[in-house]
Amino acid sequence: MIYKIIGKRVKRVEDPRLLTGGALFVDDVNLPEMLHAAFLRSDYAHARIKSIDTSQAAALPGVVGVFTAEDMGEDWEPGPPLVSPPPTLENVTFHSRRQVPLVKDKIRHAGEIIAVVVAESRYIAEDAVEEIQIDYEPLPAVVNLEKSLQPDSPLVHDDLDSNLAAHLVQKKGDYESAREEAELIIKRRFHLDRGAAAAMENRGLVVDWNAKDQHLMVWDATQSPIPIRNGMAARLGLRTHQVRVVAPFVGGGFGPKIMMFYAEEMVLPWLTMKLNRPVKWIEDRRENFYATTQEREQIQEVEMALSKEGRILGIKQSIIHDTGAYNPYGLTTPLNTQSHSMGGYDVKNYESELTVVFTNKTIVTPVRGAGRPQGIFVVERLLDIASRELGIDGRDLRRLNFIDPDDFPYHHQIIDQAFTELVFDSGNYLPVYKKALETIGYDRFLQEEQPRLRKEGRHVGIGVVPFIETTGVGPYEGARVAIEPSGKVSAATGVGTQGQGHMTSFAQIIAEALSVDVEDVSMVTGDTAEIHWGTGTFASRGAVVAGNAVLAAAQDVRQKVLTLASKILETPEEELELDGGLVRVADIPEQSISLGELAVLANPFRGAVEPGTEPGLESTKYFGPAYGATAFGVHALILEVDPETMMIKFLKYVTVEDCGTMLNPLIVEGQIHGGVSMGIGNSYYEKLHFDDNGQLLNASLADYLLPTSAEMPPIEVIHLNTPAPNNALGTKGVGEAGAIPVPAAFIQALENALAEYELEILETPLSPNRLFELLHKQEENQ
Amino acid sequence: MKVEGEHLFKGTPQQVWELFRDTDVMAAALPGTQKMELVEDRKYQAVMQVRVGPVSGEFSGELMLSNEDYPRSYSMSVEGRGKPGFLKGVGDVVLAEQAEGQTLMGYSGEVQIGGRLASVGQRLIDTVSKSIISQAFEILDRALAERKDAAGEGREAPIASASQGDYVAAVARDLLTASWVKWVLGALGLIIIAVILVIALL
Repeated sequence: MIYKIIGKRVKRVEDPRLLTGGALFVDDVNLPEMLHAAFLRSDYAHARIKSIDTSQAAALPGVVGVFTAEDMGEDWEPGPPLVSPPPTLENVTFHSRRQVPLVKDKIRHAGEIIAVVVAESRYIAEDAVEEIQIDYEPLPAVVNLEKSLQPDSPLVHDDLDSNLAAHLVQKKGDYESAREEAELIIKRRFHLDRGAAAAMENRGLVVDWNAKDQHLMVWDATQSPIPIRNGMAARLGLRTHQVRVVAPFVGGGFGPKIMMFYAEEMVLPWLTMKLNRPVKWIEDRRENFYATTQEREQIQEVEMALSKEGRILGIKQSIIHDTGAYNPYGLTTPLNTQSHSMGGYDVKNYESELTVVFTNKTIVTPVRGAGRPQGIFVVERLLDIASRELGIDGRDLRRLNFIDPDDFPYHHQIIDQAFTELVFDSGNYLPVYKKALETIGYDRFLQEEQPRLRKEGRHVGIGVVPFIETTGVGPYEGARVAIEPSGKVSAATGVGTQGQGHMTSFAQIIAEALSVDVEDVSMVTGDTAEIHWGTGTFASRGAVVAGNAVLAAAQDVRQKVLTLASKILETPEEELELDGGLVRVADIPEQSISLGELAVLANPFRGAVEPGTEPGLESTKYFGPAYGATAFGVHALILEVDPETMMIKFLKYVTVEDCGTMLNPLIVEGQIHGGVSMGIGNSYYEKLHFDDNGQLLNASLADYLLPTSAEMPPIEVIHLNTPAPNNALGTKGVGEAGAIPVPAAFIQALENALAEYELEILETPLSPNRLFELLHKQEENQ
Repeated sequence: MKVEGEHLFKGTPQQVWELFRDTDVMAAALPGTQKMELVEDRKYQAVMQVRVGPVSGEFSGELMLSNEDYPRSYSMSVEGRGKPGFLKGVGDVVLAEQAEGQTLMGYSGEVQIGGRLASVGQRLIDTVSKSIISQAFEILDRALAERKDAAGEGREAPIASASQGDYVAAVARDLLTASWVKWVLGALGLIIIAVILVIALL
């Protein structure tokens, strides 16, 4: 399909407001009579609360109230189970334990909330928090994943027999038979550690209960305003129309902002209804390190069976996945790990045992990548090792094992995060891989550049890693599109926007369908007053699921335009065309009517609307795919490492991406740039250090290193397109793609740069310090 | 966190032992100490208030002595809690007699810290603890000399207390060599409290 506006590099319409400080964020909301909340959070990772004395705090001038779990009385209840385990799998063990608004008896991670102070200012509230006296009984903490399962381990949840949160086994084919046929069996143990999402904007809430109007207004930096509205109404005993949730501009989501409900999201609405005054809370950075969800820690033992030619005969995997103190988000993240542990390869036999454990650490929910980087890391590392052991070029190994383009849709016979069979809808992997190798100049680098630089004493290495990303899963999203009497178009969708450029890319779809200018489309995202149904922004699904709902609604409006214009212009629909905000007769261009005039006529003030028709040029449509769209890509990079200082410099970075039809290549490239920076952080800088007591040791941006512009390479982004067959736009998601393969590619390049050390790195993230240790250990071994 | 080191005192093990049992001297050596008292046999309680730059906090702690082998060695455990976090530690002190009536004190311990102290102060603790330890030993050395002089003259020894200003100056001196000094100023107060209790322990 040839598009005029979809797929064009349209500059983001929201950027002038964002760049000039004209966009509303939660912290910009200031209401008359507004109070401020501050939370007392536990210093201990694991402790029993023996007593709480709030009297001194409550006595401070300016303090309106201090509240604990006891004060909530009947209103105290844990958060809802956000995602239950897959009902379609047999023999699943799953112990659902959800976060609580305020801790009643036992603290399960450092940073958990014990009490809240509400005061006339945040300063007073913070001072009062320091006056609350807690008598704790410290308990030994559960931190290490393997130790958590030992019989003598302390228990995170006393009512369970162990710290096991979930257990399941997924099988495809017959691994044991595959193993018997294998020429080579490789087995390795991998450790993947935790990182923070570290959004630029922390979480925040302003809540305002209007007793006269019996209405609750909420501004929440969330990725998921509609489920938040539904949940708040249910918790507070209100009807959904009594609650309006607005997720205004949000400074980055990356997954954690879809966790529902955070304790603060349970406590603040309760406070405003109790106090009859608006209440504000904006998370500070230290709170963000403790209380906003995190991800990625897993210990994996993975075995790969290969034939002499290098064909992957099977993979057997055992995953221990850390869910932190609670597991509201079910098994989404580790199921994604399983879905990505075979990469884009045709693996006939797979057996994967998943063990999820509770620990005294911050709750784990998806963070950009959401279990996928861990899967890609293990399969790509094993292929790198297999290449060395079999003496086969790693490129040949990959080319040999890619799923053949004729095999799509490729049925994986295991369950994915959406609880449906993992099916790869489409793809053509070889050309993408080839393009990446060509663009990075793989052969020339190995034959000319690397030897030349080696002679100069420089350590440069190359890494090329393909990956898949399952995207665009259901259940559904909706969109409402309406032409106003001005001729301009208003539209809304339920997904919130945290920087994805929805206001531009969705507007492009509407502009295409209605032949209007992008500037004439006003897109509202994340306001429950604008659309009633929806789920949220997650799983790289905005462009797929919401995008196709927008298309369906816009096409329906177009049909309404044509039907009405046909009557008014007395011309058959087939002879009409839409252009520049007008409908005209194709052969007689002067016979036309504007969309604005049609909108007025579609909403008459007198007379009778024909039975069976609806007023207005408006439509609401929904889209829900049977299964997701699977994107593919390859990252290729050349880096230099200084084996004295361990400092890294990227010399070249290429990504080749097949995310199906692009709505706007500028936005796709922005997503990839952001993803790569997150991936670089996950590879070499960002690691949350917990000590044996569950204390986070680097909870500040001075100690937790985020890559900055100085660490970022220029990135060349190339697009190839295999349109998704199961949605009208042909889109596949790309939001998380940039982050997924980076650790695997980075370490491949690092090992290549330090070839003489013969390193075999089975962990991520590294750091200059850790690399120094690994190098020196290896030197001793050699 | 591990704490270990040694210090040479110009006094006999008996004199050093007594010095460390004098709560007034110990309180003087540790800046911000509001109270330090023996509450029961071998059990001390201390309350300390520290204010540096924008950060302040009160810490209250308890110190228990055990395994006393006068005047050669003893063990101790400490638990403290305050607004900036908590601290828990165990340690051993060995006093070895040296020539010319001197004593080499060796100390080693393991300290757990939590809360803001751990999450924000981690990287500075080593540096700051060194400053505080060296400053405390200076004061203890002076106190020991005073005591010896006073005993010789048959009078009571005055207690040379460290002012908050002395303390800040000492830490600043040790930190100014580092490039991240601006950052330090904010985080300093937090660590100081931890370190003080570490010292109290020793």
